[in-house]
Amino acid sequence: MAQIEMRNVQKFFGANQVLKDFHLTIEDGEFVVMLGQSGGGKTTALRAIAGLETITDGKILINGKEVQDKKAADRDIAFVFQSFSLYPHMTVRENIAFPLRAVRMDAAERDSAIKEVAETLQIAQHLDRKPSALSGGDMQRVAIGRALVRRPQALLMDEPLGVLDTELREQMRAEIKRLHIARGSTSVYVTHDQIEAMSLADRIVILHDGVLQQVGSPDDVYLHPTNLFVAKFVGSPVMNIADVHIEGSRVALPGDGAGFQFDETTLSKLQNTGDGVTLGIRPEAVLLSQKKSKGYVEAVTTNIEPLGSHDIVDVRLGDTVMRARTESGFVRGEGAQVWVNLDPSQAHFFDNKTELNLRGGA
Amino acid sequence: MAGVRTPRETWTNRTAIFAVFVALVIMLTPIYWIAATAFKPRNLATTIPPTVAFTPEVSPFVKLFTKRSQLREQPTQEEYDAAPWWEKMVFDGGEKVVRNRKTGEVRSSGYGDRFKNSLIVSIISTLVAVSMGTLTAYGFSRFKVKGEDDWLFFILSTRMLPPVVVAIPMFLMYRVVGLNDTHMGLIILYTAFNLSFAVWIMKGFIDEIPKEYEEAALVDGYTRMQAFFKVVLPEALTGMAATAVLCFITAWNEYAFALIMTNRNAQTAPPYIPSQVGSGLPDWTVIAAGTLLFLIPVAIFTFLLRNHLLRGMSFGAIRK
Repeated sequence: MAQIEMRNVQKFFGANQVLKDFHLTIEDGEFVVMLGQSGGGKTTALRAIAGLETITDGKILINGKEVQDKKAADRDIAFVFQSFSLYPHMTVRENIAFPLRAVRMDAAERDSAIKEVAETLQIAQHLDRKPSALSGGDMQRVAIGRALVRRPQALLMDEPLGVLDTELREQMRAEIKRLHIARGSTSVYVTHDQIEAMSLADRIVILHDGVLQQVGSPDDVYLHPTNLFVAKFVGSPVMNIADVHIEGSRVALPGDGAGFQFDETTLSKLQNTGDGVTLGIRPEAVLLSQKKSKGYVEAVTTNIEPLGSHDIVDVRLGDTVMRARTESGFVRGEGAQVWVNLDPSQAHFFDNKTELNLRGGA
Repeated sequence: MAGVRTPRETWTNRTAIFAVFVALVIMLTPIYWIAATAFKPRNLATTIPPTVAFTPEVSPFVKLFTKRSQLREQPTQEEYDAAPWWEKMVFDGGEKVVRNRKTGEVRSSGYGDRFKNSLIVSIISTLVAVSMGTLTAYGFSRFKVKGEDDWLFFILSTRMLPPVVVAIPMFLMYRVVGLNDTHMGLIILYTAFNLSFAVWIMKGFIDEIPKEYEEAALVDGYTRMQAFFKVVLPEALTGMAATAVLCFITAWNEYAFALIMTNRNAQTAPPYIPSQVGSGLPDWTVIAAGTLLFLIPVAIFTFLLRNHLLRGMSFGAIRK
């Protein structure tokens, strides 16, 4: 098992910089998920660790040893591809044996290693079949088996569930987590799916345009986003965003100026910035009430999405539409009158210029 | 999907079968003609209208492989009785087999050697062209090559000129370096013809092989070369087979350079066969026999690789 460190890593593809001064330390046995949009640099970062991509500048260390100039074969890490990348001309057994043949492990040892992995992954009955005869989930199990069989220092996975259907994806997600816990291997996982990231990660690394945005536990990135990008990217439905200004002790929305009370400390932080402020608040922190009460502002519902376990209700406050999460059936229909308040502890404010969270984030 | 066909589909289907039948007849008629002529007695070969019913004989093949001369006088009964069955056939045709004066050995017509030359030159040039083409294509497919498009265009441009145009300069250059009338000379020429074709075809096939296969092998502890041989090559075999068939056919059929560049030592079958037309009154049965044998290797080669060939020809046409 291993600790992986990236220091000042820069990567250019031609004039296009895809990793900008990338710093990250992945602890031994940790499950780190790199999350971001496509083209954000997360796959490049993963491939750089694996040695499939050279880096333009900086250092990559595995267990304290510099590996940036070493070949992929000499880094002792395993890689699971989105396309599974099973060799079609080999059986499942040969596929799993392939990395062991590279190190010339003797036959008996090899057989027992294959058997063990196959049993862990419940693919023992498929060992003599060709990959093309397997279902998507089993292909993925074989791909993971091939990666794990030689007990690598670290397991790198590039959107390994990307091509599976939803049900299978949930099932495999659970299996990957179980496997990680059982084996305790250092794992780095790339995805654009925030649910995968939240459910699997010890820590999430959020990348955008090659720049590391935030590193933190799933709770951290959800509750304390460091900047507007993270705030908008994590969470579903997405966080409500609105341009606001400060009127006395209130934070006011544009338009007719519906506003909400905030405490002095928060307000003073907001007043220190000269570039204007954006409010970010998650749907579950938008509070609805059927009757007028203190601090609540009148609003009209414009759309309701009943999702079974809860409803997502769109409410119009002046020119702003906000989405609120309510218990199901809380609002009867569109055009209904409701009163809205914000949970001040869950409100985020972002500087319009730097886009940083003014309440400090993580 | 088996099952119901509309009348219209049935009609289309029948028309298609009929069209295939007509095409087959058109394409196979010359081959039938050659095959029939190869087994005819000489006097029936050029009758008008053509003789369809005849007793097949193998005398054209005997004559194909032996050197013969016109009989000035009939052989004596003793001579005739002493001759083996195949020599009798030649006597019956009004000719006699030429033998070495001292040893009495039958002198060969040279067709066997020409045929062997064809095999040597075609097989070796095909192997070389396909292996070089595959490696080159792999390089272009997987690595950033400066001016890649220009290089590929340059490789393709070697086919933009009819090869015979350069025959005279090639002949002169070959004479200087002593490659005239050698197997090596023809192998180099045919490899050069086929290489550009092999590179382009193989690049198409290798582009279709996901590069993740090699990357998986690379992280699993293999070198680039090992990954190529263990992972890429097995996947590229289909394409290589298809390319090999096409290269082999080109080399096997090549006539012009073989005619100019080779003579006694390395001459291949294509220039030999028509050279028999020119010597005296042509014996069409012998020419047909030579042509028929000449068709066989390509047929066998194509037949052996047919499964690869079918997959290879449709490779890349199907979206997975």
